[in-house]
Amino acid sequence: MDKLVTLWEGSGLYNLELGQVVMVAVGMLLLYLAIYKKFEPLLLVPIGFGGILANIPEAGLAISALDQAIEVARPVVLEQIASALGVTLDPLASVSVWRETLKQLVDSGISPDQLRAAHDTASYAGYSDGLLYVFYSVAITTGIAPLIIFMGVGAMTDFGPLLANPRTLFLGAAAQFGIFATLFGAVAMSAMGWMDFTLNQSAAIGIIGGADGPTSIYVSSMLAPELLGAIAVAAYAYMALVPLIQPPIMRLLTTQKERQIKMTQLRPVSKLEKVVFPLLLLILVALFLPDAAPLLGMFCFGNLMRECGVVERLSDTAQNALINIVTIVLGLAVGSKLMAESFLALETLGIMALGIVAFAIGTASGVIMAKLMNMVSRMPINPLIGAAGVSAVPMAARVANKVGLEANPHNFLLMHAMGPNVAGVIGSAVAAGVMIKYLG
Amino acid sequence: MQDSELLQDGLALMALGMGFVFVFLTVLVISVTLMSKLIGRFQPAAVATGQTKPTATSATSSAKDDEVIAVISAAVHRYRKSRRH
Repeated sequence: MDKLVTLWEGSGLYNLELGQVVMVAVGMLLLYLAIYKKFEPLLLVPIGFGGILANIPEAGLAISALDQAIEVARPVVLEQIASALGVTLDPLASVSVWRETLKQLVDSGISPDQLRAAHDTASYAGYSDGLLYVFYSVAITTGIAPLIIFMGVGAMTDFGPLLANPRTLFLGAAAQFGIFATLFGAVAMSAMGWMDFTLNQSAAIGIIGGADGPTSIYVSSMLAPELLGAIAVAAYAYMALVPLIQPPIMRLLTTQKERQIKMTQLRPVSKLEKVVFPLLLLILVALFLPDAAPLLGMFCFGNLMRECGVVERLSDTAQNALINIVTIVLGLAVGSKLMAESFLALETLGIMALGIVAFAIGTASGVIMAKLMNMVSRMPINPLIGAAGVSAVPMAARVANKVGLEANPHNFLLMHAMGPNVAGVIGSAVAAGVMIKYLG
Repeated sequence: MQDSELLQDGLALMALGMGFVFVFLTVLVISVTLMSKLIGRFQPAAVATGQTKPTATSATSSAKDDEVIAVISAAVHRYRKSRRH
């Protein structure tokens, strides 16, 4: 009979908490959006599935060996852990009180030495870090996964349209206003007492407006790891929604006549220019903003591999096999942050709301900048391509093209919009560098 | 009190960040333009070969055009014939 009780007490059903049920439902929702609605499926399938795995009761896939031991270990092991942490447990209290005490002790900054000792004790007792926890600590805590993805993005990016018309870089810069306006919005919401975001958290939320998944993950892993799950989900979900969010804003801010503006044919760009560009960008980063060097350095490296033409194999790996592997690991690791206690909070709703505002402001400021440039420039600029300044490559450029075609069925803006689009990637990486410099 | 400090910090970061992004990308625009001009001046050959290459290939391929058209029309003919049955 005792054994039956043990079996029952070890079952998922017995240990299931309401929060976990909700989070499994959230994971299912993400899978639904990814599979049936085709919302960034490459990321949302691993994230959604990781979220479900992270919320399996007792499995502890998303927590460290120590947390796992504290949650399920026998009293003897708990006592060992307590002694490693330098405390004694009240022998009269029940085991669940012990677990609670230890948990609080571990969460509330204890010295690294004691933490390591306790961790060793847990490992010695046969508990190991959860799979998703390992993914997270290898791929995201170190920053490696977003950086490798950035290298792959660099290897996939053609800077030709940007080099043919460098002024489109200004559009990529203007669209970054979404990031900073959202940062200010988050700060203002906290000042008014609606939410409780620190400056670091606000900055990490703002980066959603850069419409760049890896950059968002990189920045929030550095500035606000506790919000990473919500930020990554918001960033990827809204990136998938770019075709719905952007067009109304673009139509609102432009006249029919402006949307019909035809742009002059782009000049051909020589191979040498394309090879020199990543090196030039790298030198500028090294000179002015070393904090953006990890992101833009990997980006330039990927792009150089693509353009130099002598390392075809490496470039191919960076933009296919490697980026796919890293995407799987990254997605599951982000999923590990979808745990009930951290995700089910009012803050998550705030992040979702701020994220969409960030996208809207970024789009609007890109379009307005394009209109301003159109006034002073000799070459006509269709304001629609300004909206492509939020990164979201190549989705935002396609949206600009589509809205342009609606106004004039013979006006193909896709290549023109690719310029601001890749400029947006550089712009958001620079913005990320500034944030890390200022707050990191 | 602390709130207004937070607001000020946010505002400062917004101005600083936006300003820096613009300055950086302006520098990038200038250096890219210079770079393109320099490369255009010192290596006009590279651009020229880039432009002549396609015309050269198109010249040779135009000779093959008749053959291609013949092959395609034969294929279309056969396809239509097969559909009729």
